[in-house]
Amino acid sequence: MRTSARVVPLRPRAGPKAEARPPDETLHDARDGFLVALARVLEKGGAGLDWARLAEAWSALYFAWHSEEVDEFGYDPKFTRTILPLFEFLYTMWWRVETSGVDHVPDQGPALIVANHSGVLPWDGLMINLAVRHEHPARRHCRMLALDMFALLPFLAPLLAQSGAVRANQENGERLLRKGELVGVFPEGVKGVGKPFKERYRLARFGRGGFVRLALRTGSPIVPCAVVGAEEIHPKVASMDWLGRPLGLPYLPITPTFPVLGPLGVIPLPTKWSIDFADPIPMAPYGPEGAEDPILVNRLSEQVRSTVQHMVDSRLARRRSVWFG
Amino acid sequence: MTSGRTAVTGIASLLGSRVLRRLAEVRPPESLLAVDVAAPPPALGVRHRPLDFTEPASDQRLLELLREEQVETVVHAAFFTNPRRDTGYAHELESIGTLNLLAAAAAAGVQRVILRSFTAVYGARGHNPNFLTEDHPLQPEPGLAWVRDKLEAEQHAAAFARRYPGMSVTVLRFAPLFGPGVHTFYTRVFDHRVVPLLMGYDPLVQLLHPEDALAAFVAAIEQAPGGAYNVVPSRPIPLLTAYHLAAKIPVFVPHPVAYAGADLLWAAGLGAAPGAFVDYVRYLFVADGEKARQRLGFVARHSSRDALSAYLRYRHPHAGWQAAEATS
Repeated sequence: MRTSARVVPLRPRAGPKAEARPPDETLHDARDGFLVALARVLEKGGAGLDWARLAEAWSALYFAWHSEEVDEFGYDPKFTRTILPLFEFLYTMWWRVETSGVDHVPDQGPALIVANHSGVLPWDGLMINLAVRHEHPARRHCRMLALDMFALLPFLAPLLAQSGAVRANQENGERLLRKGELVGVFPEGVKGVGKPFKERYRLARFGRGGFVRLALRTGSPIVPCAVVGAEEIHPKVASMDWLGRPLGLPYLPITPTFPVLGPLGVIPLPTKWSIDFADPIPMAPYGPEGAEDPILVNRLSEQVRSTVQHMVDSRLARRRSVWFG
Repeated sequence: MTSGRTAVTGIASLLGSRVLRRLAEVRPPESLLAVDVAAPPPALGVRHRPLDFTEPASDQRLLELLREEQVETVVHAAFFTNPRRDTGYAHELESIGTLNLLAAAAAAGVQRVILRSFTAVYGARGHNPNFLTEDHPLQPEPGLAWVRDKLEAEQHAAAFARRYPGMSVTVLRFAPLFGPGVHTFYTRVFDHRVVPLLMGYDPLVQLLHPEDALAAFVAAIEQAPGGAYNVVPSRPIPLLTAYHLAAKIPVFVPHPVAYAGADLLWAAGLGAAPGAFVDYVRYLFVADGEKARQRLGFVARHSSRDALSAYLRYRHPHAGWQAAEATS
């Protein structure tokens, strides 16, 4: 065992300097990958546990699927690429998402996708993200604004941030739109995502019009978006909110599979989904001062809500089966 | 550009000592004054006026001193970065000391006061936006004496700025310093192999290289624009990424255990900080540096990652890490 701990393998970046190191220094290079690093730890075998090498192995495991640099909101492209296959499976095989009108999303510049929220867990946000990422000609990355209940939840919060979601508030939304990003938002909030099964596809109030003010202030067009199929993935037939509240959850649902099946109950049901985008509603004509006009804000908010409701209704009218569309 | 003298307090602190040294390089030493219990390095040639801000009637003595020396600018950097067990002394120095200093400066007709502050005064809260701007309300954890004293110092500064419009009061909220020469309770965490981390949380943190802090400080002293400014690195870094870049072995601790455990260790005299500091590794307190860029012309040259790697190189120069890997 090494007598003195050798710390600081803050790993050098890729470049000619990496080759310049003496041979034994390559141990510090986590780019060898986790298995190589682990093999080196085990190679020592009876020589005892080498903390320095164990730390390197751990670091290699971490950076095998995390970037060393993230954007200012914590979005980690490498982590997203790593978990993307799982989400693509859900998109193509599990829910067989059918999209229409994705061309209505602008190719560049700021825009706000406004959708109905449902499904107990925020899978709909993820699927909208994938719809734009895969089906839109510009392959844009949509930054979803996540509700506090998800964005502040331990374990889920870092995952959401790494996959590009941002906690929903005016400051964050404005910063993203001013950078010209595509932003997705669910104005129904908790009332939408946690609504009981019998109220499915009836859109809740669109908050207090915060999303309209955001769009007006930044001059971003609003793209209404309707998700059908997500209401049935976790049918919330009853709830145990009294149990959820001490855990920091606004609701704790009872579904046909949860909590009866335990952890398996978290697996969403394989319904057939559709995601429809409508014509963008331009906000620039009203000017940023429109954000101070509560009547205008309410009118636009209601216009977007009824558009989304109408899109949901027309999709439902055409739908024959929850499972096969 | 200034005819009157510049007085610097807190010259034993990292930032205070570096500011004094930098000013002594660019200005004639006789235009500077070190007002502190500690003496400045004799080589600087800066005159020392001993003064203890915690003494009663220190404001009276400071007033006489400021008048006598015709001080035009006061740089106030007498703040503790590390939490102290004798919170009473820290309160006297930081909160009451700042109050006395502002009162004496206003009475002596000082034109500019530059106050060192911390981004921690915003408080680490789950509901913080990802980027705190200067007009965001300051809502730190009220139970934490360390940050309460800083908050009170800022409140005194804001009150004096309102009451004496002729005196410009500039407040610089520095992100946590990290880099060569920085020895604090949070940098010492990185001197261990096994480090604690909250289970289920991974906030972005800002680590400010001392060179950037100094550049912003000097820019603020020269321009004294008044108002509050965040001084932050070019990019934040997730805490877990920082740990792994430094090849630490993280031990995940559930947050209720962390608060209680840190408080227990602190009470036993073993811990480096009380449990309320756990908030700062649980929630965001990332500040936005846009105002400093526009009004002070300050752009950080180092990211949080650069600051971390500079610190590790400084602490462990023989560890095989190739130096001069700094970002462009």
